[in-house]
Amino acid sequence: MIFDLELILDSIPQMLMGLGLTLQLLFLSLALGTALAIILLLMRISGRWVLAAPAMAYIYIFRGTPILVQIFIIYYGLPQLELVRESILWPILREPFGCAIVALSLNTGAYVSEIFRGGVLGVDRGLKEAASALGLSARQRFIYITAPIAIRLSLPAYSNDVVSLMKSTALASTITLLDMTGIARTIVAETYAPYEVFLSLMVIYLVLTWMIQRSFGWIEKRMSRHVRSEI
Amino acid sequence: MEVLTGWWDDFFWGSLVVVKLFFVALILTVLFGLIGSAAKLSKNRVANAIANGYTIVFRGTPEILVLLLFYFGSAIALTALAQVFDPDVKFVDFPPFWAGSLAIALIIGSYATETFRGAFLGVDSGQIEAARALGLSNLQTFIYVRIPAMWRLALPPFGNHMLSLIKDTALVAIIGLEETLFVAEQAIGYTAKPFTLYLVVGAIYLGFSTIITLTVMLCEKYANRHLEIAK
Amino acid sequence: MSDNQQDVIVQVENVDKFFGDFQALKAVNLTVARGERVVVCGPSGSGKSTLIRCINRLEAHSSGRILINGHELTDDVKDIDAVRREVGMVFQSFNLFPHLTVIENLMLAPKLVRKTSKTENRELAMEMLARVKIQDQAEKWPSALSGGQQQRVAIARALCMNPEVILFDEPTSALDPEMISEVLDVMIDLAKEGMTMICVTHEMGFARSVADKVVFMDQGEIVETGPPATFFDSPKSDRTRLFLQQILSH
Ligand SMILES: Nc1ncnc2c1ncn2[C@@H]1O[C@H](COP(=O)(O)OP(=O)(O)O)[C@@H](O)[C@H]1O
Ligand SMILES: [Mg+2]
Repeated sequence: MIFDLELILDSIPQMLMGLGLTLQLLFLSLALGTALAIILLLMRISGRWVLAAPAMAYIYIFRGTPILVQIFIIYYGLPQLELVRESILWPILREPFGCAIVALSLNTGAYVSEIFRGGVLGVDRGLKEAASALGLSARQRFIYITAPIAIRLSLPAYSNDVVSLMKSTALASTITLLDMTGIARTIVAETYAPYEVFLSLMVIYLVLTWMIQRSFGWIEKRMSRHVRSEI
Repeated sequence: MEVLTGWWDDFFWGSLVVVKLFFVALILTVLFGLIGSAAKLSKNRVANAIANGYTIVFRGTPEILVLLLFYFGSAIALTALAQVFDPDVKFVDFPPFWAGSLAIALIIGSYATETFRGAFLGVDSGQIEAARALGLSNLQTFIYVRIPAMWRLALPPFGNHMLSLIKDTALVAIIGLEETLFVAEQAIGYTAKPFTLYLVVGAIYLGFSTIITLTVMLCEKYANRHLEIAK
Repeated sequence: MSDNQQDVIVQVENVDKFFGDFQALKAVNLTVARGERVVVCGPSGSGKSTLIRCINRLEAHSSGRILINGHELTDDVKDIDAVRREVGMVFQSFNLFPHLTVIENLMLAPKLVRKTSKTENRELAMEMLARVKIQDQAEKWPSALSGGQQQRVAIARALCMNPEVILFDEPTSALDPEMISEVLDVMIDLAKEGMTMICVTHEMGFARSVADKVVFMDQGEIVETGPPATFFDSPKSDRTRLFLQQILSH
């Protein structure tokens, strides 16, 4: 099989036109999802059943079902409900872009809150006890001791989740959005050259993955400066 | 619920397809994971490089792209092959079931590669030395000491891989496999109740996820029975 | 002389060991006769573990010769297996197999290496557990036992292979103080029964009462060797004296 080099050179700039949309989907849902994750985390560790139980149910449902199904429920499914059509959220949920952001954020929120919880549970008990012994209140202990350490502990898993989220943005193409994958699918439908187009796009995504990992590697290094200076 | 009348058996058969896809892909996943980790652990440079390339590509690109590439790509390859024998052939379709299981297994297999590799390296070297000091051969040490320790280490992350796997089966609807999501799409054509029908799909997947989670929990309980009595 | 030669079980001749550029053993010579109890001591990092790990080839020495009961240790797998059958080893961190019960830990090597019958192995295992006074724990998981008990199981596990010599690498260093004596008592019993032992330990009381020979290592070399009385009361080398001062001042 011979690759059509011209087609590759032709389609790459076309697909890159969707890069902006891919990045918008990524960064917006990451920000919203992380905020949601923090809320879910606080609910879970609040020690109050009425808060913890809904958070757990939410996480269980969103981690237990495929993201594609979640996207379809939100984009194709919600308009069936009059309640939704008459709500103030309708301008968002009417658009595929809004739906993609909502679905990706809700999904990431569930995963990231579990990652943060792992970080919080990983904080050495002794440190918390030392902080109480110094007279810090529960809230102070969380803000000044637990949270900073937990963030550093969660960073590697968080970076993996950002990569997953980036990969999930490609599913926006299933609800008519023309992100990079959406454009690629259109080109393939016209040219019927899946190898050239999809392989080139995979390379573009690999570069994005690599950039995400590099950035987090850099952040991790900065955040653990004190560890190395001790040794 | 009355919208579902007449569709129950379709959902049942769709679920059966999901189950079949899950088990076929699971076996292939384990296979790819074992081969990949063996290649990563080997001292052979070429094997290392291939295995590293494999995990980088399949963990760093969107699942849907891999799936589309496999489906359309293999169809093109098959068509080209068929035309060698019979120039009149226009198009040979690669069965979506196999394109799907292969693509999913290669994706999850790349994660399993890292898990198996980590488990291999994570086995306490003291236990291996103790086995050697007792006169066990390399093979005996591997079978009686390393494998029992390894699968205990690999089980929790592998449980997560199985959850990813079951959820990724939903993607195969995109290439037309008649699983639950596909059934829902058809039912929507008749009933115009997308919310209800996609919710059913979500519930089916939640059921599968729950079964997997519980099974893994039972296995972990069995694997760690030697630790329970200690406390 | 030829009579004596027959009774040598471990012979280490001029052995060097390198880890990359770092030399962990420097021209080490050591002879251990049947029934002899040798205690090896020395500061941390002096090469004690490396020496005894070379003796059953958990590490391969770089040059020199090591003979166990007449077999020379080379890369030949058959020889290594033969040697390991005659050399038992007890580790600082016990290294019991966590997924096997106590008695299964003891029965594994006889089953796989000697291929004796299950009933035979069980009988042998119970006998060895009795020898280390722990037969009532046979069906438990290792993690359910205290450190001292685990180490006694590890000794029993080594004994099941009926070794000619047992190597101990700081067997009491990982134990809480109150458990040290139960392990030392088992080791003293073994010594009384005539077991050949090479024991890395800082338990100087044990060395004084049990050892036939004390070996002091520093920076990969054997600095001084002698019977405990001379070793402790009139050490020849300054390095030995300094080490003894530090360790006995506690
Ligand atoms: N596998 C290894 N690789 C590199 N250096 C090692 C290794 N094992 C031991 N060493 C080094 O060899 C020296 C002797 O180690 P060891 O025999 O464990 O000392 P001891 O048991 O007397 O405390 C130490 O400096 C140690 O760092
Ligand atoms: Mg040591």
